[in-house]
Amino acid sequence: MFNKDFFNKMDVVLIGAVFLAVIFGILMIYSAGFDPAVAVNKGLYKKQIIWFMIGIIFMFAMSIVNYRALGDYALYIYGFFIFILLITTAFGRPIRGTSAWLSFGFISIQPSEFMKLSVVIVLAKYLELRERDIKNFRELLVPSLVTFIPVLIILKQPDFGTAAIFIPVLFTMLFLGGADVSHLISIILIAVIALVFPMLLTYWEWAGYKGGNFIVQMFVHVDVLFTVAGVLLLIAIASFITHYFLNKSFLRKIYIPATVVSLGLFLSVVIQNWFKVYQKKRILVFLNPDLDPHGSGYNIIQSKVAIGSGGFFGKGFLQGTQTQLGFLPEKTSDFVFAVVAEELGFIGAIFLLLILGVIIYRGIQIAMETRDKFGAMLAIGIISILFYHILINIGMVIGIMPVTGLPLSFFSYGGSNLFMIMMGIGILNNIKMSRSSY
Amino acid sequence: MTQTSLKARMLEAFRKRMLVFIIGVSSIFAILALQLFNLQLIHGKEYRLKATMNMENNIPIPAPRGEIYDRHFQKGVSGTVLVSNRPSFNITTIPETFKSDAELMEVLTRLSTIVEIVPADVFAEIKKSNPWERFLLKDDVTFDVVEKVASHKNAFPNIHWEDAPVRVYNYGDLFAHTIGYTGSLNKDEYNSLKSQGYKYYQSIGKAGVEKQYDSQLRGEDGFIRRTVDVNNRTENEEVGQTPFGGNNIVLTIDYEIQQAAFTALGENYGTVIVLKPSTGEVIAMVSKPGYDPNAIISKDNSIIIRDLNADPKKPFLNRSIQSRYPPASTFKIVTAIAALETEKTYADKTYYCPGKYTLQGYVDHDFYCFKPHGTLDLYWAIGKSCSVYFYNLGMSVGPSMIMKYAGYLGLNEITGIDIPGEISGFVPSQRWKLKTFGQPWFDGDTINMSIGQGFLAVTPIEIANMLCGIVNNGIVYKPYLVKQIFSPDNRTVISETKKEKLREIPLSPATLNTIKQGMRYSVQGGTSQWLNHFKVPICGKTGTAQTRSNRKENVSQHAWFLGFAPFGEQTDDAIVVTVFIEYGQWGAVAAVPVAEKIFGKLIQQGYFKSQEKEIILRK
Repeated sequence: MFNKDFFNKMDVVLIGAVFLAVIFGILMIYSAGFDPAVAVNKGLYKKQIIWFMIGIIFMFAMSIVNYRALGDYALYIYGFFIFILLITTAFGRPIRGTSAWLSFGFISIQPSEFMKLSVVIVLAKYLELRERDIKNFRELLVPSLVTFIPVLIILKQPDFGTAAIFIPVLFTMLFLGGADVSHLISIILIAVIALVFPMLLTYWEWAGYKGGNFIVQMFVHVDVLFTVAGVLLLIAIASFITHYFLNKSFLRKIYIPATVVSLGLFLSVVIQNWFKVYQKKRILVFLNPDLDPHGSGYNIIQSKVAIGSGGFFGKGFLQGTQTQLGFLPEKTSDFVFAVVAEELGFIGAIFLLLILGVIIYRGIQIAMETRDKFGAMLAIGIISILFYHILINIGMVIGIMPVTGLPLSFFSYGGSNLFMIMMGIGILNNIKMSRSSY
Repeated sequence: MTQTSLKARMLEAFRKRMLVFIIGVSSIFAILALQLFNLQLIHGKEYRLKATMNMENNIPIPAPRGEIYDRHFQKGVSGTVLVSNRPSFNITTIPETFKSDAELMEVLTRLSTIVEIVPADVFAEIKKSNPWERFLLKDDVTFDVVEKVASHKNAFPNIHWEDAPVRVYNYGDLFAHTIGYTGSLNKDEYNSLKSQGYKYYQSIGKAGVEKQYDSQLRGEDGFIRRTVDVNNRTENEEVGQTPFGGNNIVLTIDYEIQQAAFTALGENYGTVIVLKPSTGEVIAMVSKPGYDPNAIISKDNSIIIRDLNADPKKPFLNRSIQSRYPPASTFKIVTAIAALETEKTYADKTYYCPGKYTLQGYVDHDFYCFKPHGTLDLYWAIGKSCSVYFYNLGMSVGPSMIMKYAGYLGLNEITGIDIPGEISGFVPSQRWKLKTFGQPWFDGDTINMSIGQGFLAVTPIEIANMLCGIVNNGIVYKPYLVKQIFSPDNRTVISETKKEKLREIPLSPATLNTIKQGMRYSVQGGTSQWLNHFKVPICGKTGTAQTRSNRKENVSQHAWFLGFAPFGEQTDDAIVVTVFIEYGQWGAVAAVPVAEKIFGKLIQQGYFKSQEKEIILRK
């Protein structure tokens, strides 16, 4: 199996970049785990080396098994992980308030990580099967269901960050899978309308703002909102029926926006009335961590101080004061990027971005070069998972994204994410190697 | 349409969308890199500073504040130390360094045998605090305790000590208003002074010389550079800077004279100012009632300060410079100067005093003298303080000229003495009266003003400095309290106050001689006769100010005495003594005996040595 041919065909650049990234990450975890007062390392880096070894096995395993088999068994894989996820959420021992881990003594596994891959596999298979019909609006229902079932379960854990990453992955795959752009925009608009007003109201109520804006006043009265939404819906139905019989295309321009606004308003009524105030506040804090300066605000301040004080060349390996003296929180996991930026400076941080950029670039190349729709979609899903992790994690650490507990793939300490992403890399490699066998 | 062309079109669409995706991904990477550039390269300096602030928790080493001496200070030879610092120490510990609570308790118990602490209470306090942080076990302990702790390191593990010198005002309330006291920075002071390097934990001069010369006295604190981690646990300690003591100050005040003035005032409220006209040096400045600065800087001072603030007697008020009173008969000097200088009168002109002066008008109004004096010339009118004479004089000069000369003599501006809080006196004007009361200036107002009553109000320092000008033939110097500033080791003079001319009043020698002669008569046969027994010729002028509020039964008058010695040609030795006693009844009765004791002390201390020699020679 591991013959000369295998090593010739595999993507050396991709695999090389991944090895570089993980070794780089292990070095940073070593630095972050160092306690200068007692000159002893907490030893997390040793565990990460073990996770890396296991990850390598997963990666090569995924490179060998024909990836198309994943498509054939997509539903079984998906079902299996939904089951595991349910068990974890229901019976998992909560760690820091979140029931996201399944413990096997020496190792704890986070099934929601593997759920990301399973959803991507199912979506890729579905997009391949419905390649021709995907422009139909109703074809979006199944992918949405496939995505939202695990999202809802993960929200129950509750793990906002992990749940949140499924949505952009879904949209990216639908977009690149050929879905109608106007459909996607409509869905996004509905979500925005549904969220904006309840959130604005909650925020104003929270901040003690007494506005005289009549539009805002209107949304306080649910019946008005309800009536407006109902009227719009009636208009939409009427014009749709007319369109059905007369086939005048300008009517499309009426019933689509009317439906979007109407659904958005209905949903906003639902959110406004069914959600409890603390739940709405939680969404607000997610969107704007400054609202809770004692919680996540402190972490971001310390993280920015660490990064900013690193300067161009950094303070040197093991020399970062923010890292070594403990001012930087979560330095081995979520904030490992700040350790890089502090100790190795702008140069080190840009080097890190370059490595990740190379991995994503290779992924995109594989997706574009493969003739197989399933392979392309699968590759895109995997790249999306990696890309949105990078965006959300680094964006948070440098203070331009909301605070969500997402790891930086390859760098952050932790087995599950590393296994998942290395399996994904294995699949990418597999797609690339299979290409030549067509 | 064939299958392949559909496939080709779909592939084309996919390629286009992939391009959008690639552009999106690239832009995100660019944004991340830009924000990194922004944080690390553009704002790098600020964040480096913040990181340093995070990790440095320096322990200040207080600088000893400068000492304050009286005018006779000469290093190691003489002089009185008025303010010094007492060595004192804080005993501290870092609780986390103890292996167990039992060990901590054991050490605390052992410590309680040499320091006054209750081990159980301290232990409870420690348990409430951050175990990594320095914990103050006991402040203000003596060197003996430190010595014991240091020599029995095994018995007192992890017990540390810090320097914490305590300011000592060796003469308590004697110098309260001149030297002032220190205290912790309040919020406003901190906000306005932090740019000058003041730290929130430091103390600052709050009044008097302590406040005015704070920048000289404070020195520069040193610090121990302490690197800490997020739990404030010490990672590293080194001396960052050794403290640099404050400069020492030599006052112009003579301890002996100050003490004599203080004692002479007794239980009275009031002030004594002794000035040297030839330079402006303040030889003594006492204000009563006062307070003890040692009590104010003590640890449990809040109640003391509250009580002092609430005291209706206003002990914090430096009556010498912060309080205005009617100048009363001392103002007759101004009226006389105005009349002589405008040539409205001459020294030998006589008026008859029947005991009252009648101002004619629609209704005649009588103004009284305290007794009928008969016929007097200007010399004796000053000497005997005859009011009727000055009513006549005032009427002949007119109010405008009196106001003008009062202004020339500095009665409506501050003297600029080098302690904070001085206020200026008040000389009314016709316009002011019209504006305030809606009435024109009446002749009655002129009569009142010519004997220093009515709307006039002066501070004791102003009137004392006015006399300095007269004694000094018209040249007025700015009064000052600080003579020299020495380096902390007293080896080098850092600065020496030079006399500063405030103004020069163009007064004719004849006028000056008339005033001096009149004041001499006051001692020889007038209201200040108590002072006549000294060998040194003294001149004086008393004053009795009517006040509008009858605060005490019968005593609604303030007593003034304004005098100088020696009489005769202007010399550099001349000294001006001003005594003011609130509700002192008669100037001659209340103020003159106080002045008498001060002059006695001045003579005893040799302030008029050359005059005494002359007198002996003449004999």
